This record gives sequence, C-alpha cells and structure tokens, in this order.
Amino acid sequence: MNHDTLMELAALYALDALEGGELVDFEEHLDGCEACQAEVDSYRAVASQLVVDEPATDTTWGLIRDRIADSAEVVQLDPGRRDPADRPWKWVAAVAAVAALVLAGVLAVQLIAAPGLSDASVVAAAETAATEDGSIVGDFLVDGVPVAQVVLTEDGRGFVIPSDDLAALDETQTYQLWVINDSEEVISAGVLGAAPAPATFTWTGDISGFALTREVAGGVISSAGDVVSVITDV
Amino acid sequence: MALTYALPIPIPSTFDRSRTLSMPSNEDKVLAQLVSDRDEAALETLYRSHGGAVKAIARRVLRDEALAEDVVQDVFVSFWGAAHRYDPERGSIRTYLLTIAHRRAVDIVRSEESRAAREENTPLTPPPIDLENEVWLRTQSEQVRDAVAGLRPDEREAISLAYFGGLSYVEVARALGQPEGTVKSRIRNGMKKLSEELGAATS
Repeated sequence: MNHDTLMELAALYALDALEGGELVDFEEHLDGCEACQAEVDSYRAVASQLVVDEPATDTTWGLIRDRIADSAEVVQLDPGRRDPADRPWKWVAAVAAVAALVLAGVLAVQLIAAPGLSDASVVAAAETAATEDGSIVGDFLVDGVPVAQVVLTEDGRGFVIPSDDLAALDETQTYQLWVINDSEEVISAGVLGAAPAPATFTWTGDISGFALTREVAGGVISSAGDVVSVITDV
Repeated sequence: MALTYALPIPIPSTFDRSRTLSMPSNEDKVLAQLVSDRDEAALETLYRSHGGAVKAIARRVLRDEALAEDVVQDVFVSFWGAAHRYDPERGSIRTYLLTIAHRRAVDIVRSEESRAAREENTPLTPPPIDLENEVWLRTQSEQVRDAVAGLRPDEREAISLAYFGGLSYVEVARALGQPEGTVKSRIRNGMKKLSEELGAATS
C-alpha cells in the first residue's frame, strides 16, 4: 500500500479498529511517516474528548501507590550491572494459570538491554552460549515462524534474539519476556521495548518455559493473555 | 497526600474542558518530568485528573468493573515506569493515558473473545450499544456534543462500536451486516468530521 492509502487508515488505527495485515502494514509505515503520526495523534486527541470524566477514587489510588512502592526497587535496578550470582527476580511473587495463557508477575519496568554491547556482539555471545553444556535454547514461534530465540546458560546468562519476523509495535506497547518456573509461577524477566533488539537477561532459578507477550508501554504486573508465543518443557 | 505544587484540580465548571484537556500543556510537561523523577505526588495529581476518564473508557470497552480497575492500575503503574516515553509534542497526557488504556482494554476484549470463540467455536458477538444512552451524548462539553450531533447516525454507530465497543472495523461490519469498505468509510468520514469540528481543541 502507498502512503495515501495507508493514511486513510489513520482514523481506524487511532480507534484501535485495525487488525491483521492492515495493522502490521500501517504500523510499519507509521514508524517512518511523520505525516501519518500527526494524523493518528490528531484522531487520538479527538477520541479522547469523547470520554466522559468520572471521579477518581481514593481506593484505586491506594492500590496504585502500593504497586509502585512494590516496584520501586525494580525500577531503580540496572540489569546490566546486577551481580549475576544474585537471583535477579527474587522479589517476584505471582502465580498464574499458564494453561489458560493468563500471565502474572511482578513488574520489571526496566528495559532489557545489553549496555555497551552492539547487537552483533550480543548475537555472537548468544551463539556461543547456545553451544555450552546445559544451555537451553528455544524459539518463540508465531504460526510456525520463529519471531525470537531465547538462550539461557546453566549459570543464568540469558539472551533474547528477535528475528525480522517480530513485528514492531507502536509506542504505546512493548514486548515483555516472562520466565515460567517449575511451580508454574510466571515471572517477568523484563521489558523488551516496542522494537526489540538483541538483549540480555539473568535467571538462575528453576525453569520450565518462557513466554513472550505484548503489553502496554513500560510493562505490566499482570497480563490478560495477549500472548505472542510460549515455549514450554525446556 | 498533600501536593507540593498548584495545579488546576479540580477544573472549574466554567473551564473549557475539551480544549484544555486535549492540548499538551506546561503542566503536562512538568508532571511527566516529575513522574520520571519518581515524584509520587505528581503521579497522584495525574491520577486525580485523568484516572476517572481512564476508568470510564476501560469500563466502557470491557463492560467489567474488575477488569477496568486492573487497566486503570496498569496504566498508571506503567506511566510511573515509563513517563519519559510521553512526548508532549504529540499530545496531552490525557490523550496519551487514554490511548494506552483503550489499547489495553481492546487487547483484553479481543483476547477474551478470540479465546471464547476458539473454545466454543461460536462467532463473535457484538457488544450491546445503546446509542440513546451512549456515553458521548452525555458528555459535559457542548462543543463535543455539537460535533457528535453533526455526524450521520450510521457514522456515529460505526465509531461507537469501534471505540466504545472495542471492535475492529471488520467486526463492526460483521455486527452491522454491512460491507467492510462501507464501515471503513463511515468511521473515517465520521472521525474527519469530528476532527474538523474539534480541530482547534486538538491541534
């Protein structure tokens, strides 16, 4: 589709009324088109005016405050500098029904990244790690197509390598990586961003699988099940 | 918690809510920066200003109080962790938060409906939309009410099903028994009209 055709979809995109191939095509176009971004922003502003305000309750604020207090330690941590021997997600305590693809975990709002390393370096490190004894290697598949590969070494060094088939999200969303332990606890391993690059994480606990989900920007504590892909029985 | 700075809360009844709430303001920039700096009072200010609207759109789309409550919490907790991603040049914080909330609610609806449809092998059921009592007809802004009144009924219906019903335009077409292209045009034309009428408030 050309620019003019795609721009005609801006209003529908602003209302979240696109899906499937049109959504993918539009979001790919949106990344590099300021005119369409402005069009979408304008329509979103219009839509926001259709919503009637109602009182915000103290009860909800109390719950939000509790959650940000719980996540405060996570927010301030830098995964690139954390002691690998320290179990990184030990503050996590959430249980979910994996079979129903409903995931829950504790918020890990920091972006998973590989500070100081180029994408190529991370990929090379992952390739090496994948050959180590005891390493786990798994592919996140969407309709049989690998969208990302995850590698976890026996000593807890993790790598996420997205493929070109992992569609970029708009700025309101992010991919989020989850670890599923042997007790079927689903634990956030961190936020990958809207257009993930090769990244590292750390996990030294028991593990039975991984999940990749699409969430609101910044990551979430609980997911309603917008699961991109799950790797089980690793 | 006592706020440490003065902000326009509550908004006076004579205030032009639609204009002010849709445009990025200096307060938006300041608040976003303060939240980035881990100022809890700033986040509370945002919640007091926009939490009700976030809850309203989430509940309207989800038609479930508990799920809507979860969305409200997720939106503000996410903003706490990623306020730096808000770009004041692209719109107001209100629009930004509502966009996240709507997307989140729609994702939940589609995930739930798609799972139910797969499990039960039944077609998707459109949500009930009572246009006579639609939320936008009760909006407090005369400007918005007039703009909505200028839409054709079929445009209003299509936009309502998409935005408040959380349906894709393909699902709207199916729900209305209309061709997809027709529904696409109704939504697009309706939103263009609204944008023209409300442009001064949203540019």
